[in-house]
Parts: sequence; structure tokens; C-alpha cells
Amino acid sequence: MSDQVTDEQLARFMAAAQSGAGDAYAALLKAILPRLRAMIRNRRRFLSEADIEDLVQDTLVSLHSVRATYDPSRPFWPWLFAIARNRLADGARRHARRSANEVSVPEYPVTFSAEEANWDAEGYGDPEILREAIDRLPAAQRQAVDLLKIKELSLREASVESGMSVGALKVSMHRAMTTLKKALRKS
Amino acid sequence: METDELISVLARTSAPVQPLPSPWLRAMVWLALSLVYAALVTLMMGVRPDLLAMVGDSRFDIEQGAALATGVAAAVAAFAATIPGYDRRVLLAPVPPLTLWLGSLGQGCLSAWMTQGAAGLELRSDWLCLPAMIAAGAVPAIAIVLMLRRGAPLLPHTTVALAGLAAAGIGNFALRFFHAEDASIMVLVWQFGTVVLLTGVSAALGRRVLCWRTMPLDRARGD
Repeated sequence: MSDQVTDEQLARFMAAAQSGAGDAYAALLKAILPRLRAMIRNRRRFLSEADIEDLVQDTLVSLHSVRATYDPSRPFWPWLFAIARNRLADGARRHARRSANEVSVPEYPVTFSAEEANWDAEGYGDPEILREAIDRLPAAQRQAVDLLKIKELSLREASVESGMSVGALKVSMHRAMTTLKKALRKS
Repeated sequence: METDELISVLARTSAPVQPLPSPWLRAMVWLALSLVYAALVTLMMGVRPDLLAMVGDSRFDIEQGAALATGVAAAVAAFAATIPGYDRRVLLAPVPPLTLWLGSLGQGCLSAWMTQGAAGLELRSDWLCLPAMIAAGAVPAIAIVLMLRRGAPLLPHTTVALAGLAAAGIGNFALRFFHAEDASIMVLVWQFGTVVLLTGVSAALGRRVLCWRTMPLDRARGD
């Protein structure tokens, strides 16, 4: 579209925009968009499309804030490009200042790779080994695991179910966990 | 926000604006205001008794003309600096009158030294200069800053330095009508020195005085 719009037309659009004609202003901004985007992309080849679009928008907003400085008797593009160059330079300055104040920290993994540190966090490992280890537990411990961990009953419910006291269930459960940890570590 | 959406927000919220007159015209408006103020300050401080004699002195006339021309040229350059796409060579406009001013003061120092020897370059304290020139340049400084803020802050430090030079030039122009100090070395150090100081301070304040004041888009969108 920008190729079809002459400088004189843009000057007329801009003069209309200065007198408050929203339609002319929207037409002008849409007409200049491809050439403005190309100019910014050309000068900032290393930036992503999203960053280029941010700079385009920054330039449009800046154009808007100083639209009174446009003199319709003067060419439009040098006026716009002067604003765009200034915003690009400001953007580069902001970026340099931000990078100078930032400390680059390498991204640490949330957990550590050492095996002993991950043992609890990584669950029970192979479920088949765990099942066999549970089968090998003494009957009272196996029952405690079955009721409290597999069926997920509360201590009171498990006590009613098994006829064992709450204290005895706790002891059996604790012993079962110790036994299972040992068994799994060995495997 | 997508760019198309931004365009429709800008178009919807664009109020009519008065295009800025040319930098020359704006500088003339500023000059008229500044000269009225300078005349008031001179009358308030009391015109120096030997003014009529001084007006006939060619060195005084050259230096006053150069100070005024520096002020005007700096104002034109400052206004032009806020117009995107304006020829940047205009920023050098204050250089010729400034050179003439400095040259006249230098030549005055030289001739005082040749006629009176070291006594001709005796430097005394003249602290009145600084507050007097600030007082004489205050309204021109405020006026030019307010006018510049309607433009684009493309070169904030240079623009505000030029504005400081313009106001200090007018301030010095007024000062010499009520402050009877004409020894070239004194004018050079205390008065021209104050002009340089005020220009330097203005340059440092550049970005605080002139910055992009863009529309808060979120507010515009949520209208």
C-alpha cells in the first residue's frame, strides 16, 4: 500500500490527522506501516519479529505524541524516519543499560543429579520390585502398608479394619517403610 | 496489543493539535517575551548611570549585539532540534555570534594587558553576577523550556544546553544594562563564565527536562 501512497498524500493525511480526523489518521498509520516495519527490520536484523513489532509500535506511539511537530509543507518520510531512528537509538540505549545492570545466572536444575538426593523424591522406582518387596514383608507390616498406603485408610479406619491398635499400626508402618527402603536400595 | 489494534486506539483518541510554527517564528515570539522581561528586570534593578556613554562604546555594542545574537541563534537552534527531520546544521547557528562575543572579550583582555600591563588583567570577586544573571534569565529559561516541551525530544541534552545558552545570553544582555562591570577580564570570567556554567548545567539536565511523553496505552484502550 505504501508504494501507492505518495508523499503528498501522506502530507494531506497527516494535516487532516492534525485537525482531528481519525479516519485519515488510521489510513495514514496503516499506509506507513509496511515501509516503517521494513526500515526497522533492516536496521535491527538480529531481533525477533516480536521485538521488531514492539519497536514499530513504539515509533507509532512516539509519532502520535509529537504529531504537532509535522509541518505539512515538508516531506513526510524524513520526519517519520527521524522519529524512528531516535526511538531505535533509545531502545538500544535502554537495552545496553539493562544488560549492564543484570547479572547472568546459569539456570540450575530444580533437583540434583546425585542418586541419593533423589531417592525419596522419585517415588518407588520400579513398581514390580516394590510389589515383591511388599510381599516379602511380615504379615503385620504388609497389612499396615495395604490399609494405610494402598487403600489409603486413616489410622482409625485401619485399626477397625485390622483389629490392631493405632499405636501398633504406626509401629508396623514405620518398620515396613524402613524395610522397603532397604530392599529397594539394594535392588 | 496487536499493531492494528494500536492504530485504531491512536486514531480513536487523536485530538486535534495545532501544528507548531517554524523554529524562527517561535524564537521570535520567545525573544519578544524575553526582551520585555529583561527590560522589567533592568528597570527594577536600576539602569546603570553611565548607560548613555556605554551605548556609544563600540566594544560594548559589539558584545551586547553578540550576546543577544547568541541568545537568538541558540533559541532558533533549540526549537529546530525538536523538529524531526530538520537539518541538523542549524545546531551550529550560535557558533558565529558566540565566537564574535568571545573574540571581543579576548581582544579586550589583550588590549587591557598591553596598555595597563598586569593591572589590566586584575581579577576581583564579582559574585553578584551569578544570581543577577539567573534572575535576568529565569523567565526566558522557563518560557523556552515550556515551548520546547511541545516538540520532539530528539536530542534532549543538546536542546536543553542550547536553551540554557539562549536564556543565559539574554540574561547577560540584560545584566550589562544594570551592572556596571566592563573590564574585559571580569566580563570574560564572571559573566561569560556564568553563561558557560548555566549552559553546562542545562546540558546535564537534558533528559529530566525533555523526554518522550507517550500516551498511556492501557488507559487509552480501556476508555
